[in-house]
Amino acid sequence: MPMRRLVLLLALSAALVPPGAPGAATAPNFKLKKGAQGQLCLDCHGGQLEETLKKPFVHTPVKSRECTGCHNPHASAHGKMLADEANRACLRCHDVVPAKARSTHKPIEEKGCTGCHDPHASSFKFNLVKGGNALCASCHKAVVEAAAKARFRHKPIEQKGCVSCHDPHGSAKGSHLLTSEVPGLCTGCHRTDRPIFAKQHQGYPVARARCTSCHDPHGSDKRGMLYNHVHPPVAKAMCSQCHEPATSENPLRTRAEGTKLCRGCHAQRLNQFMEKARVHRPLLEGAACLSCHGPHGSRDAGLLRGPPVAVCGSCHSDTIKRQQVSPTKHAPVRDGNCTACHDPHSSEFPLLLVNAKSAELCGRCHDWLRHTSHPMGEKLQDPRNKNLTIQCLSCHRSHGTEYKKLIPYATTSELCTQCHEQYRR
Amino acid sequence: MSGRTALRTIALLLPLAAAGAEPLSFYYVTTIYRDAKDVALRSPEGVACTSTSLVVADTGNRRLLTFALTESGAITQTGEAKLAELTSPVRLQLDSKGHLLALDGKSHRIVRVDASGGFGGFLEMKGAAHAPVLVGFKLDAADNVYALDVGSERVLVADPGGNVSRTLELPRGPMMSDIAVDSGGTVYAVDGVGATVWSAAKGATRFTQIGKSLKDSMSFPSYALAYQGKLVLVDQHGMGLALLGLDGSYLGRQLAIGWSDGSVYYPAQLCINERGGAFIADRDNNRVQQFTTAR
Repeated sequence: MPMRRLVLLLALSAALVPPGAPGAATAPNFKLKKGAQGQLCLDCHGGQLEETLKKPFVHTPVKSRECTGCHNPHASAHGKMLADEANRACLRCHDVVPAKARSTHKPIEEKGCTGCHDPHASSFKFNLVKGGNALCASCHKAVVEAAAKARFRHKPIEQKGCVSCHDPHGSAKGSHLLTSEVPGLCTGCHRTDRPIFAKQHQGYPVARARCTSCHDPHGSDKRGMLYNHVHPPVAKAMCSQCHEPATSENPLRTRAEGTKLCRGCHAQRLNQFMEKARVHRPLLEGAACLSCHGPHGSRDAGLLRGPPVAVCGSCHSDTIKRQQVSPTKHAPVRDGNCTACHDPHSSEFPLLLVNAKSAELCGRCHDWLRHTSHPMGEKLQDPRNKNLTIQCLSCHRSHGTEYKKLIPYATTSELCTQCHEQYRR
Repeated sequence: MSGRTALRTIALLLPLAAAGAEPLSFYYVTTIYRDAKDVALRSPEGVACTSTSLVVADTGNRRLLTFALTESGAITQTGEAKLAELTSPVRLQLDSKGHLLALDGKSHRIVRVDASGGFGGFLEMKGAAHAPVLVGFKLDAADNVYALDVGSERVLVADPGGNVSRTLELPRGPMMSDIAVDSGGTVYAVDGVGATVWSAAKGATRFTQIGKSLKDSMSFPSYALAYQGKLVLVDQHGMGLALLGLDGSYLGRQLAIGWSDGSVYYPAQLCINERGGAFIADRDNNRVQQFTTAR
């Protein structure tokens, strides 16, 4: 490394920790002459930093030319000659993550502070690499875009941005980086003691209920910011269809539990599900339908509790993981379209497949059988097992493998010679 | 505890500990592909066996097949049963007298099958607070029934007549796929999703987790068997068997994914008889495979 660059790093190091800051005491003491902590560095690195230093928000140590606060001028085991591991160098001064955090922001662990902040200078407040919600949209694009496009928007997002409800570093009080837990977070702005509040909620005592069960805090196209997909009784304000009357002793209690409650309206569908030989296990359990569906509303179709890949993946995480590590991605799994092949409620076939014959099931998307393909079908016995016929799944595993083309063997020849043993070498 | 009692306890436990320490290996013997009429098995999900008999739940064909086992290793079909009350037989158990109990995957009730292959009535869980939704059951040496009721998240313990004498609440959260009971009366519950094992000693009122999650070692364990001081789990999506100590410690794996004899593809149930003969309902391979653990 040229000496000039080294010296600049020295200068930067000095600039990143302000004198007297908590971390200053632990910063290395290089017995530099007065002004040499940063000014000396700029002799070499000044040109490189010239444009940066013109930006409106300059990191205090940079401004005060204390480069050695973050950088070691001689040698370092860390990238960019930092005096410490990236995040630890920042945490010397910026103690922003609560000690007993209930939720922490992933980028802090994965990308470090520089995922969101420029350690030298920036055009945006707090040295952020992008301004306002645009920074959040770098990762949470769908959420930010939906919030901006929503017909009924949540004002705090427009006025103060995502940080009006979320702490971008971590929260000791709430999940999802929320500055406090729902409903306390909501009732900080929304008064629940007004008559209109009771009227809007049909007299149900929802002040202590989970607001986000019905309302989308990021805005929606439904009046009252109800989720875009609303359970019809909620949309019609007919809470008492499922809950005890508002005037009863325990008004939030449901009139029945599990499928018994849902059966009131969905009896025919439930009967159809239960008629089949194999019923998806959650349907049999206490929570039943509510294992996968929200009772009030959802951002996702079918009142699912989240995107399908997240809902299915909450139990079938190994399947999702297998797809993630597979070099070849099967589109329905990649896109979370699990229902392309599986019936989420019940089926006559193992694995809740919608069709047990994989050639027919796969043939819905893959038309190879109509032109060129390895012979397949009910009349072709699998040489490895006389109770199996040659199907797509004879050679492929639909959720992926560690090998290309969803095959369970490292090489094609290894796969083929499972049956065509005469060619085995 | 007096010195004599302590010594007696140690003497009783030592063989168990020794058995638990011994490795358990499965060696392929043969495969049952078809019945006596050359009808292929379809998605079999249940097996129950003694040293002289084997019952197969040929689930896809909605029937039970019974076989006689001889010391020489011959397997001869002795019967076939199709019951209107048992259209989806999934789990089987033979009691100490050789009577068959079968769990119907559709009605989630236990069906008694009489010696002639006829319907012997439902095993009702008498005294249970709510109608149970059963997904698994086991019998102990005295033919007491341990039933996994996922509808009310509990394990019901009943005498052979179905009179419930004890209820064990299941922990909230885990999705129990099966239970096992060992010779000491300890009940084990296997969490299919989290790959954790929970146990409740005889007389306990609740389950406690033993060991850590074995998610890295198995995927959707679906069936559990307490055998010779070990827990043998059918690792259904992991395509094999996982062996655990009774303390939940991971001991190893047996068998692997495949379509040829000796391999398994979405195995469902396992039974091991007094001679160490093991049968596996190899569901997605449409067959039952025999192994021996006695080499």
